[in-house]
Amino acid sequence: MAHPIGFTDLDVGHEFPRLQLTLSSEQVQQYALAAHMPGGRFMSDAAAQREGLPGQIVPGNLSMALFARLIAEALPAGVLRRLNATFRALVRPGQVLVVHGVVTEKHCTEAGESVECDLVLESAEGDRLVTGTATVRLSGESPTAR
Amino acid sequence: MAISLDRSIVGVEFDRTVCEPVTETEIRTYSAISGDPLPPSPGGGALVAAPTFVVSVRGKKFMPPKLPNLGAAGFDAGKDIEFGEPIHPGDVLTVVSTVHDVYEKTGRSGTMAFLVLRAVITNQRGDQVAVIDQKMMFR
Repeated sequence: MAHPIGFTDLDVGHEFPRLQLTLSSEQVQQYALAAHMPGGRFMSDAAAQREGLPGQIVPGNLSMALFARLIAEALPAGVLRRLNATFRALVRPGQVLVVHGVVTEKHCTEAGESVECDLVLESAEGDRLVTGTATVRLSGESPTAR
Repeated sequence: MAISLDRSIVGVEFDRTVCEPVTETEIRTYSAISGDPLPPSPGGGALVAAPTFVVSVRGKKFMPPKLPNLGAAGFDAGKDIEFGEPIHPGDVLTVVSTVHDVYEKTGRSGTMAFLVLRAVITNQRGDQVAVIDQKMMFR
């Protein structure tokens, strides 16, 4: 069985396994309710159109949750310390989404070891809808190497 | 259109909310719906909320009551979350919201105003759980 990736296993340029998914209208509604974001734009096409939008949209917070999921699946031993996102375009339910990320920096300080990552959520056509960065704290060695 | 920027609102606290205790159901529901998985509980101890659960912790007022004239429509342009202590069931969280910054930027599509709202979330022990900066764009 593969061991969780540790700090020493990672190099700058390491790419995380991509996520590809489509969020349904119901999933977006459920997220908006669970995250206490009751805005009409997250609930239905009709409500979103009354706000001048083309239809129901995915909350930015849910896009950030997808970034967090990407990191959790790629670095299960990691602890997310910072997550940043820029919402560049509307994300819609029913749209095929691809989430990917890459390690851009490694840091080893008295406070511990961490990596910086660039993150992207894009459409199947490659349009960058959300971009972000993350700081993830990691243990020094992979668990089996300890 | 010229945007009037009144920086006197920067630093003003506009909300302080003490939330109801976090429940295990809320933590599990958020994780299941968002796909942000539950982190391992240290030593098999108390349940730990997924990192982005913290965005569901909201104050009573989302925006300051007296906003300067920033433009017609406001859009969520981005967010920055600095994570602190983990959240567990039973935690009583306090959200303090302030206007962190307001500034203007001119790009290809004209002049836009940005309002940065900061929420500092602490638990019942006074430990910092998260600092969330939300950037709103007006044009």
